[in-house]
Amino acid sequence: MKPHRRKKLGIILFIAAGLGTAIGLSLYALSNNIDLFFTPTQVAAGEVTPGQRIRVGGMVKEGSVSHSQEELEVSFIATDYNNDVHILYAGILPDLFREGQGIVAEGAMRVDGIFQASRVLAKHDENYMSVEVKAALDAAGQVPGMPQGAN
Amino acid sequence: MWLWFSKLGSPRWFYELSSKWLPWLYALMFVMLGVGLVWALLFVPADYQQGQTIRIMYVHVPVASISLACFPLMAIAGTITLVWKMKLADMVAKSVAPIGAWFTGLALASGAIWGDQIWGTWWAWDARLTSLLIQFFLFVGVIALRSAIESPDAAAKACAVLAIVGAINVPIIKYSVEWWNTLHQPASSISFDAVAPNPPEIWVPLVIMILAVYVFFAISLILRTRNEILQRERRAQWVMDLVARDQQK
Repeated sequence: MKPHRRKKLGIILFIAAGLGTAIGLSLYALSNNIDLFFTPTQVAAGEVTPGQRIRVGGMVKEGSVSHSQEELEVSFIATDYNNDVHILYAGILPDLFREGQGIVAEGAMRVDGIFQASRVLAKHDENYMSVEVKAALDAAGQVPGMPQGAN
Repeated sequence: MWLWFSKLGSPRWFYELSSKWLPWLYALMFVMLGVGLVWALLFVPADYQQGQTIRIMYVHVPVASISLACFPLMAIAGTITLVWKMKLADMVAKSVAPIGAWFTGLALASGAIWGDQIWGTWWAWDARLTSLLIQFFLFVGVIALRSAIESPDAAAKACAVLAIVGAINVPIIKYSVEWWNTLHQPASSISFDAVAPNPPEIWVPLVIMILAVYVFFAISLILRTRNEILQRERRAQWVMDLVARDQQK
């Protein structure tokens, strides 16, 4: 490689590396703002002020879902297996909503510590398989790849 | 090696060689796309969670993976343009930008259709979705920058710089699902076991579709680049000969 080309390539690589570092550091600093949702542990640690519009994400706790008999209202607990958030929601739930499923709820924390959601979205995990394979795995008693919702 | 490198940089050499490649690429694409689409749309079993919606994956993943490959390709071509001033590299960089924009747009659109069904929303300001949207705007920006500068040499340099800088977004898109809490799920890991999550019956047709769409991408890029070669070299003797030969037929 000719010297002037080597120099040019060096400058380009240096600028790219410098910019990459700068952008990497700013993204790292902004990490909390880039996260789509708060985890129940973050909520328990008091990172959320009541009334502030936020999103909370977690798994729907087994046995925690209760539907109102008269209205669309549903109450459930979102958990990250360390802490829980009690969520109230009146509206149509996504098809994938069920116990053990990862969800993201948008709304605000009430003063009494209950999360009033105005929208509930379902997360899905990265494991795809047919009904038969899932049934075979369940029969074998394996639960591979715990669905990832909150970490 | 250096001889081969400088030869590859010759537009004429590329034009003649790619004429020989194209029929093979077309055949490969039709076979793979046919097999992949039929397999994915008719024979892949419905997912235990998502049902038939899983078939969107066989379009979404290939277009998204190619949209992520386009930017680094443009950045490498840009670096070659800046350092070695190879004419062909800039022609490739110019040709790949609209293709990349289309693939990014298709990845966003197919993802929105999928998300609407499964998440319950077609859009969220999630790190993966937002960084991919930024890539779409970067492609549009590169195209706009190229047409805004009149001198082809200056435009080539400016676009090369923007491509190199913009390529920093690619690892951000790739790892966004691991670095931050997102609605988008992380990348799947494949399994060779038939009774396991992501078994071969799910991923083999996906690999075929990814390769098929890659071949489609290669064909589109070669065709655009050939067009660009003819346009820029229109005063070269070999192009004039080519045109004369075509007119005689």
